[in-house]
Amino acid sequence: MTIQQTESIKIEIFDPPMCCPSGLCGPEIDPALLDINEAVLKIKKDFNGKVNVERYLLSQQGQKFMQQPEVMKRLQTNGVEILPLTLVNGKVMKEKSYPTFDELKKYLGI
Amino acid sequence: MNTTKYLFFSGKGGVGKTTMACATAVHYANEGKITLIVTTDPASNLADVFETEIGHKITPLLNNLWGMEIDPDKATEEYRESILSPMRAVMPQSVMVVLEEQFNSPCTTEIASFDRFVDFMVAEKEGKGEKYDVVIFDTAPTGHTIRLLELPVDWSKHIEESAKGEGNTCIGPVASIQKNKVRYDEATRLLGDAERTTFVFVLQPEETSVYETKRSSKELKEIGVKNIELVINGILPGEVCDHPFFKSRYEMHQKYIKIIESDFPVKIRKMYQRDGEIKGIERLLNIEKDLFANSGKQSYSIGNDEITKAVFNNFTADSIDEIIKPNGKTKSIFFTGKGGVGKTVISVATAYKFASEGYKTLLLTTDPASHIGEVLEQHINDKIQKVEGVANLWSVIVDQEKATEEYKQRIIEESKSKYSEDMMIAIKEELESPCTEEMAAFDKFMAYVESDDYDFVVFDTAPTGHTLRLLELPFDYSDQVSLMVTTSQKSQEAKSVTQKRFDKVIARMKNPEKSIFSFVVYPESTPVIEAYRAMLDLKEAGIQTQFVVANQVLKPEYCTNEFFIKRRIMQEKYLSEMKERFQLPVTIMPLLESEIKGIAMIQKASNLLYSKNGKV
Repeated sequence: MTIQQTESIKIEIFDPPMCCPSGLCGPEIDPALLDINEAVLKIKKDFNGKVNVERYLLSQQGQKFMQQPEVMKRLQTNGVEILPLTLVNGKVMKEKSYPTFDELKKYLGI
Repeated sequence: MNTTKYLFFSGKGGVGKTTMACATAVHYANEGKITLIVTTDPASNLADVFETEIGHKITPLLNNLWGMEIDPDKATEEYRESILSPMRAVMPQSVMVVLEEQFNSPCTTEIASFDRFVDFMVAEKEGKGEKYDVVIFDTAPTGHTIRLLELPVDWSKHIEESAKGEGNTCIGPVASIQKNKVRYDEATRLLGDAERTTFVFVLQPEETSVYETKRSSKELKEIGVKNIELVINGILPGEVCDHPFFKSRYEMHQKYIKIIESDFPVKIRKMYQRDGEIKGIERLLNIEKDLFANSGKQSYSIGNDEITKAVFNNFTADSIDEIIKPNGKTKSIFFTGKGGVGKTVISVATAYKFASEGYKTLLLTTDPASHIGEVLEQHINDKIQKVEGVANLWSVIVDQEKATEEYKQRIIEESKSKYSEDMMIAIKEELESPCTEEMAAFDKFMAYVESDDYDFVVFDTAPTGHTLRLLELPFDYSDQVSLMVTTSQKSQEAKSVTQKRFDKVIARMKNPEKSIFSFVVYPESTPVIEAYRAMLDLKEAGIQTQFVVANQVLKPEYCTNEFFIKRRIMQEKYLSEMKERFQLPVTIMPLLESEIKGIAMIQKASNLLYSKNGKV
C-alpha cells in the first residue's frame, strides 16, 4: 500500500486456493473469510504505518509462495491443507486457519 | 498511413451472421485491403464457409485475407500455462491439482478468450503483429458478446475501484493487472470510435429477432458504441411464395421489415433467404454481390443443381410421451437452445399440454429476451401469476437485474450488523465484481427448482453447463476448504446449510426422473452444432439431455416450388444428422403459417408437437 519505513512489521498471509480473498465471489459468503478481512482492515487502521499486511493467493501470486522457503517446506510436506499460513517478519505464526484480530495483535507485540 | 477499421458482426445463432461477416471480408480483400476475420464463437462455421481448416491461429484464406478461430479452451489453456508453468518445477503435485482445477472456472475461460480478443484490438497501438486495413469480428451470439464487450468497462472500473480499497480483484492483484486496464481502456475507446468501429447486427424479420436486436443495441449504446448498422437476412422472396401457407409468412416478414425500418433509424441492408447453404467462395461471392450492390433486384438462388422432381424422405418424429409422462413427483422440464430458435414457443406449448391435462403447471423463464407475455397475450412479470384462459397454468419471469440487486441487498443486510464500516465498503466494492451477477441469477433460479408446489415446472431456458460447473467445482473442494479455512462454529454451520441446499438442487437436476433437459434447434448447420456442444457441456456437469426438438420444419405438402423443395431437402439432411449426432429421440415442431400468439394458436402448436402424428 504505502512505502514502508525499515522498522515496520510485515505480516504475510498465504491464502488457500479460492476465487478471491473476500469470500464474496463463491456461491455463498464464507464468514471465516469476512472475519479475517475485517481483522486485517482493523490492523491496518490501528497500526497505520507500523504494520504492513499482505495477502497472497496461490493462483495469482505463486511467485510469493515460491520465494518463501518456510511456506514451500510446509506445502511440500503437508500439501494445500496447511494453508492458510500466517507469517510475521518471515516467521510462521499460524497454520491451517486464520488468526483472529487479537492473535494478530499479540504477534505484533506492540 | 491508414488506421485499421473494425467491424463487429453480431446476432443470435443461425441468422446468417458468419455468412455476412465472411462476405464482407471477401469484399474488402477483393478491394485490395489487407483483411483479417476473427471469430470468438465456439460454434463457428468459418472453416465450413471457406472450406479449409482454420483453428486457433492466423491462417491465410485468400489473397489479402486471413482468418482465425479463437478456441476458448485453447485460450484458457494458454492463459493457465502462462501462470502455472513456472510453478510446476517446485510445487508438489497435490498443490498443482488444486490449482489446475481452479483454472477451470468459467470466469477464467471468459477472461482468457476475451484477452485474445483484445489482443487484436490493441495490436496496432502496441505496435505488435501484422498490420491490417480491416479487422472483422464474427462474434459469438448476442448475450455472450455483449458480456464480453462490457468486460473492459466493468473490469476497468472494478480494477480502479479496487485499487483504492483492498487492492484485490477476481482476476488478480491490482498491481499485476494495471497493464490489462490500459489494454481494456484502449479496447473500450476503439468500440466507441464511430470513425473506426462499426457494429453490424444481423437479424431476421421476426418478433424475437427484432426484440433481441433492440435490447442488444441499447446495451451497446450504453457502453459507448455509436456506429450501428443492420442486415435483415432470411427475407422470403415474394415470387416464390405462391402457396397460401408461405404467402402468409411472406406478409409477416414484410410487416416486420416495416417495423424494423421505423424503429431503427440506421443503415439497413436487406438480404433474401437462399435456396441452399452458403459454402465455398463462389456462393460467398453471390452473397457479397447483393450485400454491397445495394440494388433492389436480388437473387435467391445460390446456384446449386436443378431439381426436377421433388423426392422427399419422410422423417419419423420420435415419441417423447414416455419421457415426459407424469410420475407423481414434481417434474422440471428445461428447454434450452440459442435465442430465437423458438424455445419460448416450445415451452409454452409444453406447459399448455400439461395444464390442459389437469396438472398444476408453472411456466418460468430466466431469459431476459423472453417474450412469454407476447405469446400468451397477457402481461407476465416477476411475481407468479395465474395465466388467464388456461386452467392450472401459472407463469413468472425471473428478472436477472432485479435478482442481482436483491442478492446484493441481502448480502449487505446480513453483513451490516456484523462488520465495521470499513469492512462494509470492502464488501460493497467486491459485490460490484461481474462474477456476482451469475451467482445471483442462479440463486434465484434455485428457489424455483427446489419448489414442490407444482406437478410440472417448465423452464424456458436452462442454466448453462458453465453455471453448473461453477457450482460444482468450488463445492467439490469446498469440502476441503471448509475444513481448513473455517475454524469457528458459525462458519461451519453457514457452510453446511448452503452446501446442503446446493447439493440438493444439483442432485435434483441430475436425476432424470425429476429433471428433463431438452434442446430446441432449427434443422440447420449452426444451431445443431451449437446445441451439440452445449449438450456435451451439460454432460460434463453430470446432466443427461433426454430429447431434441427440431423446430420450424417445412411440411412436404407446402413445398411446391423449387425454392422450398431445395430448402426441405436441406432440412432433411440436418434432421438425419441430428439423430446421428445426438443419439436421442428427435421430435418435430412444423413451421406454421403465422407466429404463435394467443391461446388458440398455442393449443394448435401443442397438438402438433405432442400428437403422435409420426411422419412429417
